[in-house]
Parts: sequence; structure tokens; C-alpha cells
Amino acid sequence: MLEILIVGAVSSAIYAMLAVGFTLIFGVARVLNLAHGSFYALGAYGTYVLTSHLKLPLLAAALLSVAIVAAFGVLIERVFIRPMRKSQLAVLMITLAVALVVEQALFLTFGSEYRNVPAFVDAKFTIGGVNIAGARLLALGVGVVVIGALWLFIQRTRYGSAILAISQDPQAAQYMGIPSDRIFSVVMALSAGLAALAGILAGPFLTVQPTMWLLPIVKAFAIVVVGGLGSIPGSILAALMLGYAETIVGYTVSTSWTEIVSVLATLLMLMLRPAGIFGRRAAF
Amino acid sequence: MKPESLERSVISRLARGASLAAACAALALPAATASAQSGPIRIGVPTAMQLQVGRDTQDGIKMAIEDINAKGGVLGRKLEMVVADETENPETGISAIKKLTADEKVDVLIGGYTSGVTLAQLPHISAAKTIYLNVGSASPATNAKVKTDYDHYKYIFRVGPLNAALQARQMTGFISTFVKGELGLSKIAIVGENAKWVQDLVPLLKKGATEAGADVRAVEFFDAQTSDFSPLFSKVKDSGAQYMVVVLSHASSDIFAKQWHDSRFPMAYGGIDVKSMDGDFCDRIGGKAVGELAANFAVRAPLTPKTVPFFDEFKKRTNRQPVYTAFGANDAVYIYAEAVTRAKSTNPDAVIKELEKTSYVGIPGTIEFDENHDVKPGSATFKGPALLFAQWRDGCKREVIVPKTMRTADFVYPSWIKQ
Amino acid sequence: MFAKPVDLAGAAVFVALMAALPLAFPSNYLIGVLTVSVLYGIWAVTWDFMSGLTGRENFGHALFIGVGAYTAGFMNTTFGLNGWWSLPASMVVATLFALLIGVPTLRLKGPYFALAMLSGSVIMQRLMLIFWEQTGGEEGLNGLTPLIRSQIGFYYFALAALAAITALLLALSRSHFGLILRAIRGDEATCQAAGINVTFYKIASLAISGAFAGAGGAMYAHYQLQVSPQLFAVVTSITIITMVYVGGMASIYGPVGGAILLVLLTELLRNFGEWRLMIYSCALILILFFLPGGLVAPAWRRLRAALTERRTARTVPASQERSA
Repeated sequence: MLEILIVGAVSSAIYAMLAVGFTLIFGVARVLNLAHGSFYALGAYGTYVLTSHLKLPLLAAALLSVAIVAAFGVLIERVFIRPMRKSQLAVLMITLAVALVVEQALFLTFGSEYRNVPAFVDAKFTIGGVNIAGARLLALGVGVVVIGALWLFIQRTRYGSAILAISQDPQAAQYMGIPSDRIFSVVMALSAGLAALAGILAGPFLTVQPTMWLLPIVKAFAIVVVGGLGSIPGSILAALMLGYAETIVGYTVSTSWTEIVSVLATLLMLMLRPAGIFGRRAAF
Repeated sequence: MKPESLERSVISRLARGASLAAACAALALPAATASAQSGPIRIGVPTAMQLQVGRDTQDGIKMAIEDINAKGGVLGRKLEMVVADETENPETGISAIKKLTADEKVDVLIGGYTSGVTLAQLPHISAAKTIYLNVGSASPATNAKVKTDYDHYKYIFRVGPLNAALQARQMTGFISTFVKGELGLSKIAIVGENAKWVQDLVPLLKKGATEAGADVRAVEFFDAQTSDFSPLFSKVKDSGAQYMVVVLSHASSDIFAKQWHDSRFPMAYGGIDVKSMDGDFCDRIGGKAVGELAANFAVRAPLTPKTVPFFDEFKKRTNRQPVYTAFGANDAVYIYAEAVTRAKSTNPDAVIKELEKTSYVGIPGTIEFDENHDVKPGSATFKGPALLFAQWRDGCKREVIVPKTMRTADFVYPSWIKQ
Repeated sequence: MFAKPVDLAGAAVFVALMAALPLAFPSNYLIGVLTVSVLYGIWAVTWDFMSGLTGRENFGHALFIGVGAYTAGFMNTTFGLNGWWSLPASMVVATLFALLIGVPTLRLKGPYFALAMLSGSVIMQRLMLIFWEQTGGEEGLNGLTPLIRSQIGFYYFALAALAAITALLLALSRSHFGLILRAIRGDEATCQAAGINVTFYKIASLAISGAFAGAGGAMYAHYQLQVSPQLFAVVTSITIITMVYVGGMASIYGPVGGAILLVLLTELLRNFGEWRLMIYSCALILILFFLPGGLVAPAWRRLRAALTERRTARTVPASQERSA
């Protein structure tokens, strides 16, 4: 029971980091960025390269990796997303193509086999009789802290208010003199950095291979819709629900059923309450 | 231009554009080369190019081709290789077969990895009347129709690996003689990924193990995409098993090993783990596989006179350790070359007759085919290929533990398990 | 008449060209590639009919394809029925699935509908894997019998099917029915206020789209002679959307060109070995970036305008181009 609680929390934290970034971009720019999973992958691979080829210490490698991916995110936004913003489908397609290019680049550079992202904490902890890897607890801890920090940033700072303003009413925000383009870039950087961080934290105990971007983006998409597009608390809540639903099904039934449970839950949510839990914008 | 001739000019412009497009298409798709009896013998290689198994298939074939060509080729003709990516998708696989047979007009096909793709390709290979030497997929279904529908499926041969049913039998031996016999652990858990060949194999394994006196406490399947094995480990632990037998091929063996190590799982594990056959498997996960016993079809040991020289030559050329498809691919080229030499032609029917008589000393053992054109396993009387169980040791070195006759070191438990 | 003579001429030339190619360059490989591209063309056209016209992007088109294919697979291997029964059967089953998933989800807009359809296809894929004892798991169903033994014969059948389906959907799209679908894309609320039964139209278009896609799936099954869960994959749906995009959304005929182009591109790039998919993805980015209206449909419109420029005294203004 306790094991389910802890493992579920870890899954939820990783999902939340992915989903929050995804929903932030949608809330602010009305854009579904399918390359979001690539940020996750690049964070993990970046750390791998910096530690094993450039021999940097782990913390430096991780921070540098997050920074590089955040910059990459801004680049993607400027070059590919901004010109296409008029059509949601166009942005969807081009970010998907970018994700494919990134995947192929990783294939060609690193090969198809798994790469090793070293863990910050290699020890094993025992909590209440449950053996849990240190890396997982770290992912949980850092996830909570970072999302909390992001929440504070949005609620308490001027940039944060600007973000809220744009997501509520882009035109009014522009009339008020808020530089929307700059805010988009900031949000993109935050979103990409968050995804990269998730990749770095999850890398040690989850999969690190070129195709690792697809599954997280499908899950993030589902979480964000269930939680309500553009709502951060919604994403967090939905991430918790999904993370725990998967964990519980995995422990009680079988891991073969976890995927289908989460997808089914998404479908049911869409049929019953399409705006999501906290959706401000209705889905129809 | 006058209006009456507008219609004609429209049609003519369209027609001109169309023939230009056709010419472009024709130039782009490479013209088929006629396979004259004096040109090179072309080997088509359908394989998953982006994966390690695909790379090693190609390298294994290349090594054989260069060796044979240096010695004068086959029937005075040189060997040549043409590769087509089959990925893990049946659609791409089928088009790869068509590309190789209908477009490149190869004389033989050597390759294969995912059983699902191979099964999908079979009717198309048969329609193309081209010999196919399988080096990677293990599902017994690929060869099932050879005897029952000989005319259509006589082209299909498997050089490696041993098919899943045979592997199950060898695993049963592993469980009864080693796990129960030597280690004295009779309570086992069987854990396998959700692939069809595993699902076919596990019931055989369970039955065999139970008959051998083992107590199978849990049988768990998990999705090949699973990246979190905590629920699985939890169930296995709660079942009271003392040893975890695994059957993994496409699944995330790397993560499995990492999570097993990180959570200091209180039992040793071993079994079929295809990814663990990679020479750098242990290294790339930071040494966390130390303790795992994995089945291999060959290791750098004198299983036959060819084994060690092959490993060394492969390492020299590619700076990697070969995975199992490399053995099959390399042997397949020689086997085909010898059959063609004996048949004195590349005509498939003649070559098939000779292939059936194959008795070739290959890398994992002596290769012979049964009536389903499937590679025969080794036994007390026949030195065919057999599963060897090697354990990862400190420094990521491998030592053969089972069979006892080939043992290079004694089994040790992972450091955190008290015995 | 919904098509000008030059449109009919263009269509005729296209079909003739497609029919002549395998005769000019006899190769089972080429026939295979063309057959697969024609089948993808059917799927792309059916997608465009529903999603292109109504603006409700369907990210789970693979659902109908897979359902049609598996229906054919079961009927042929488990029940031993003749392959020709699969075609109508797959259309019926696909329509049922369209109703099953369409009715509760068609009220949704944009990404919500997309996600709902995507979820549907993923669920079916999972179910095929979970019930592996009945469905063959990831190995799928093998040993289907071909519909037409001759490769080129089947190709012509598929080509004829593509032409017929495209013509039918094109006619529908230019009829009153299609007009309402486009109006729904423009402003659904107004349509509803005008008394149009919007729900019926949306469901009907999804059913039509699904039925023909399912038929295409059955044809595909009897051509590849196997059915696997990969047909339900997200990748399949996205590939089709890409083809429609490259072909030109809402044009109905454009996706045919998009499908053929992209399938040919994938095969032509085989010469690049490991770099194949990378080059393909980069080509995709270039197309998406520089040709946001697609490649095929705008090219045809320009060609047509050039061919018929003597007909009209003035050139057709750009704003009217979209209506064709």
C-alpha cells in the first residue's frame, strides 16, 4: 500500500512536470507543441553526453543541459511556431516534424540502444519497509519543488501576471502593453526547461532511447486535456490521477492494462466533462 | 492561339507534363539489374537497419562475403550485398522484400529480426520464389508451413536463433539442473514480456519446470513498453519466489536491470534476455547488470573452431561484440555458398535440395536443418547450437555458468543477497 | 456539373498515368509501392472529406482502418470466408465504430475531438495486444488470401476504387451536403441557429469517412496478406494527416497526390540507408514550412489557371481560389 503511494507519487511528479509545461504553452499561445516530448528526450541525452563524453560533474551537466534545451525551445518557437501560429493544425504538424527530426538525429548519433544517464543518488532508501531507489525520491522531491516554484513565479511576479493575463485574454493583454512575443519566449523556455528536467530526473530509472519522446507527449496531451487546457492546477491534479491510476492498475491487475486504463479514463472524461476538471475554456 | 486549338493545347500540355513525371519516376526508382549467370551473386538483406541487430547482421554478412570473394567467390562469381530496411513494421518489411526481390532481383535473402515482420513477409517471399535464410526471429510459426505446404514455403530456412519452443526446452533444463539442482532454489517466478513468442513459450516453460519439480509461484507478463517495473517486482517478491526467470527480447532490459539493482531486489534473476547479449549491455547501465545470468547463443569460447576467430575478427573490424544475428548471418552466407557450389547453380530448387543436406560447422555449433528447415538444437549426441548461460561479473566481464561442461567460473550471488 | 472539362481532363490523365506506369516499368516492386500509395490515398481522401471539410481534425483515423482490416482478417482466417465478403462487412463494422465513438464525441471541438479519436484508436490497439490469444498479438493475423491473385490486377482494382471513392466524395463535397459541412466549419452555432441538424451532418460525414476507410483497410489486409496492431497506431493516423496536409486540406483530390508523393518519397529514400527517415522528416519540415497550403492542390489550381487563362478575360483573383 505504501509502495503504491510512493511509486504513484513519483510517476505523478514526472507526468506533472511534463504536463505543466505543455499546458502553459497552450494557455498562453494556444499552441499544442508536439515537440515537447523532444525536450524531455534532449534533457536526458544532453546530460548523458555532458557526463560521459565531456566528463562534466553531474550537477553541472544537468543544469547546462536544462539551459541548452530551454534555449532550443526558444529557437523552435521563433523559427517554427511563430510563423505558423494562425493555424493550430499547422503548428501541430510542424512541431511533429521537428520531433521526428530530433528522434532521427538521436538515432543517427547515439544508436538505438539505451544510454545511461547517471543518477544523482544511487543509494537505496527504505521507507516504512518499502525499498525505493534514491533516484525516484529525488525525482519526486525536485518535481514538487520546481512546480511549486513555478506556481509562485506565476502568482507573485510581474512576469507571472503577464502570463496569466495573456492566457486569459490575449488581445486585452496586448492593449495593456504586455509584450506578448517576449512572454511567449519566456514561457517556451520555462516549458522546455521543465520537460528537460523531467527527462534528466527520470533518465536514471526510466527509458533513454531515441523514441522516448512519443509516449510522454501522448500522456501529457491526455493529462492536459483532462485537467483543463491552460490550467496548471488542473494539470497537476490530472497528473496525480493518471499517475496513481496507472500505478494502482499496475500493482493490482497487470502492467498490460495500465495504458488502456489511462486512455479509457481520458476518453470517458472527454465524453462526460470535456472542459476538463478546471477548464476555463469549454471544449465545445 | 485560337480558341479551337485551346483544347488540344490543354491536352498536349497535360500529356507532356505527365510523361515528364513518368520519366522522373522511372529514373528515380533504380532499374532492375539482370541477374545473368555470370554476374555477381546478390544477397538481399532485409533487416532493421537502425538497431544493433541490424548493424551486426550486415557486418556478419560483410565479413563472410569478403572472405569468400578473396578465395575466388562462388562458382567463379563474386558475392554482393544489398540491404533494405525492414524496421519493426510489417508494412515496411513487406516493401523491403519486394524491393529486394522484384527490383534488385537478389538471388537469396538473409536477414530478419522481429517475428511479426518475418511472418508478414512469408507469403511475399514465397511468391517471389526466393530463398530466405532467417537469422533473427524465433517464432516457430515462421517455419511451421514448410512441411505442410512444401511447394510454397520450401524457400524458408532458419539458421538462427533456436526457435522459441526449443529455447523453452533448454530453459527448462536450466531451471531443473541449475536453479533447482545446483542452487537448490525450487520456488521460481517466471516473468516475460507481452510478445507473442514469449506468450507461446511461457506455458511450455511452466509445464516443463513444474514437471522437473520446481514450484512456479508466479507467472507475470508485462508490456514491452513498460518503463516502471516496481509493480512487477512487488508481485514477484510477494509470491514467495526465490529466483526470477525472465524472458525478454524487445523489452527494456536495461531498465529492468537498473531497477532490479537500484531497489536491491532480494532475488537473483536470469533467463533469456536478448538485449543482455550485447557486449556493452552491462557497461551502458553503469555496471548494474552484474549478477544477471543471461542466455547467449555464443560467447567468446571455443564452442567450435570458428567461434573465437569470429569474435576476434568482428571486434577488430567493428570495435563491438557481436550480437546473435551476427552469428546466424555469417554462417548463413557460408551455408548458402556451399549449397550453391554443390548444386552448381543458383537456381532456387536446386539450391534448396542442397541446403537441406547442410551440415556446417558454424559459430555457435554445427548447423543442420530439420524437416521444417529449422536449425536443430544441440544434444548429447549432436553438437548443434545450444543456449549458454553467462553471468555478468564485476568489471562487466562475462563468465559461462551453464552448461557445466562449458563453465568458466562458479556462480556468485549479487552482492546484496545473503546466502 | 461540378467539374469543369479541364478538371475531368486532369483526372483522366492522372488515372491514365497511374495505370500506365506499371505497364511501362513492369516490376512487382513498383506495383507494390503504387498499390500501397493508392490505399493510403483512399484513407487520406476519406480523412479530408470529414476533417478537412468540417474542421474537426480526427487524430484517430487509424481506428477505422484497423477495424476494417481486422474484420477482413477474422472473416478470412478464422471463418474462412471469401475475401470479397470483407469489403461490405468492413464498411458496416467501420460505420458502427464511427457511430459508437462519434456520437458521444462529436460535440467536442478542436484538440478535444482529436484527442478523443486518438484515444479510440489507441484503445483498439491495446485491446488487440491484450487479447493476443484471439488476435495473434503483435504478430497479428497471417495467411489471408489475396482478393485478386495477379498483382497488377489488384492494383487496377485499387486504383478504380480510389477513383470511384474520390469522385463520390468530391461530388458530395460540392453538393448541398458538403456545403453544410463547410458551413459547420465556419460557424457551427449559426448553423444550429438556422435550424440545421448539425449533429446529423457531423455524424454522417464521420460514418461515410469511416466506412470507406474501413473498406480501404480490408483491401489493404487482402493485399499485404496480414493484419497487425500497427494499423491502429498513432503513427498511422498522423501519417495520413500529413498526406492530407501536403496534398491540400479540404480539396478532396489533393490528398491523393499527397499520399502518392509521401509513399514514393519513403521508398525512393531507401538508397540513403540509415539516413532515410531523417531526410524524410526534413523534407516534411520544408514542405510544411514553405507550403502551408499544401503542395498538390495549389499546384493543380495554378496549373489549371495557366491552362485555361485564355478562357477568361480576367485572371481568377486569389481569394476565389479556395472555393475550388
